[in-house]
Amino acid sequence: MNKLIITVLGKDRPGIISCISNHLYDLDCNLENANQMILQNQFAGFFIIEPPSSLTFDHIQKILTEKTRDTGLTIHVNALEGNGKGLDNPGDEIFLITTIGPDQKGLVARFSSIIAEFNANIVNLKAVFKGGSDPKANVMSYQVCISRDVDAQAMFKALKKKADQLNLDIRIQHKNIFDVINKI
Amino acid sequence: MFDDLEIMSTIEMVKNENLDVRAVTLGINLFDCISHDLSVFKKNIRKKIISHAADLVQVCDTVGEKYGIKVVNKRISLSPIALVGAPFSPDQMVEIALELNSIAKQVNIDFIGGFSALVERGIANGDKSLIAALPQALAQTQRICASVNVATTKAGINMDAVLEMSRAIKKAAALTADDDGLACAKLCVFANIPQDMPFMAGAYLGVGVADAVINVGVSGPGVVKRAIERNLEEKKLSLGQIAEIIKRTACKVTRVGELIGREVAENLGIRFGVVDLSLAPTPTVGDSIGEIFQALGLTQIGVPGSTAALAMLNDAVKKGGAFASSHVGGLSGAFIPVSEDLNIANAAHKGYLTIEKLEALTCVCSVGLDMVPVPGDITEECLAGIIADEMAIGMINAKTTATRIIPVPGKKAGEKVTFGGLLGEARIMNVPHLDLKDSFVKFGGRIPAPIHSLKN
Repeated sequence: MNKLIITVLGKDRPGIISCISNHLYDLDCNLENANQMILQNQFAGFFIIEPPSSLTFDHIQKILTEKTRDTGLTIHVNALEGNGKGLDNPGDEIFLITTIGPDQKGLVARFSSIIAEFNANIVNLKAVFKGGSDPKANVMSYQVCISRDVDAQAMFKALKKKADQLNLDIRIQHKNIFDVINKI
Repeated sequence: MFDDLEIMSTIEMVKNENLDVRAVTLGINLFDCISHDLSVFKKNIRKKIISHAADLVQVCDTVGEKYGIKVVNKRISLSPIALVGAPFSPDQMVEIALELNSIAKQVNIDFIGGFSALVERGIANGDKSLIAALPQALAQTQRICASVNVATTKAGINMDAVLEMSRAIKKAAALTADDDGLACAKLCVFANIPQDMPFMAGAYLGVGVADAVINVGVSGPGVVKRAIERNLEEKKLSLGQIAEIIKRTACKVTRVGELIGREVAENLGIRFGVVDLSLAPTPTVGDSIGEIFQALGLTQIGVPGSTAALAMLNDAVKKGGAFASSHVGGLSGAFIPVSEDLNIANAAHKGYLTIEKLEALTCVCSVGLDMVPVPGDITEECLAGIIADEMAIGMINAKTTATRIIPVPGKKAGEKVTFGGLLGEARIMNVPHLDLKDSFVKFGGRIPAPIHSLKN
């Protein structure tokens, strides 16, 4: 069977990773990648597994759902398309696009639309909107992968124009500058 | 992904702490341009400089834009003109300066360095012509920077050259009297001049180098100051811990410089040389070496404790930079140019920093008596004495020292002078005994090299 991706969502508490990984272990699944994040009090976890050939997709989904029924967690099991190969190609460049400024509805929607319009791929996004006047309390940071066929200059221009309209300070910098300053 | 703190601190460095790449300097070797015919020589140097530098500004701007770090100055340093133009007369040297000035304008750079001579052991014909041409060359041009090395630890101090340079400085000041002696702001006298320094006015390209090379000068006094302040706001620190913070900050700043320098070099197809990790101020609040002294608890630069603070700062910057890059060169330390640093100019004006204390500070930092305006009626003997003292510090301590002194015609101590732009403004510093005509500097000859020069 192809690899599977298991998504786990729920209110954060101790023991979620242990619960899921032990069930997968009991099913003799090989855990290839795992990652998690916590947004406010919500847990989101992703597990890429290679199941044993003796198990079917339906069986794994059924067992996991049954075993986590009373935990309050929502579990999704999906086949991993393309067997996990990413979109990155040689020559791709990663830029960090950071905006700082007053919170408004639709900020992520507006900026991500421009990035999508130019066919650049957001590989990571962090957005914190706490409101108030402290500029550091309202920050969006997009890590965007720009392939050779993307008109980067035109996209940067469009993003800067949008930031101006929304009274936001925008910084567009190649990832390497953050690497040299922060990763020694 | 980077965490929030890493992203915000990186942005802060650029946005509010004035982190930039102060200078990308393209060194161009002119030895293959040599000719006894002035018109051929001028044609050769124009062709060679433009062939290498035509895209310099545009490439620096593009790379700066990519990383969100501004490359403030794009410059060119040349093989010493006194060597490559050795056959020429003083008048012809002035013509060369005018030609270089015109080339600098064509490639849109602000300064071109290398109108230079190396005379620590003696003055050859080319050197004599260049030194004689200095006042006119600097008065008639805007973008030429000149330097003359009069001393080294290996050779001693050429006192004939020291006196000649004092005279040249006085003449250059007189020729630009309407601009407060501005020509002298483009003229440095050196001991142990580095061959790869990207910073003006002393940048030139030494011998034993490739046809062209990119050297980078980083800066970042504002970043260092804020790093100290931020950490002190959080907790009490010992000086050892503060030195560690300076070291780490210098390391980050150096890595930024090297990243940008290497990319510029790659895009131009030119070899990357060195990073000069000096802390170079500008006349802007928040971009000042003087403010670092205040962050370290001193009233102003120049008060007791300043030399110790500067020694610690300079050493920490060197250590951080040396860890960050294997190709560190130039001066690599802290600059204390009086008029170019608003805070230092202010300390001098208020009397915290005197010329004697400034000289003491130069024992433990890069450069020397830099951008120091003095009364125009200083005698050539007194000026030569100040230069000789500074050269002695460099020679004995096996380090670079320099003077960039501006005797401002018609003005007295305390009066204001404005040089403009990065050269800044200041009050004229008081020089005690400036009317003395002591014979010491007129004995001539060489002060012998110190015993520790005998290392072979």
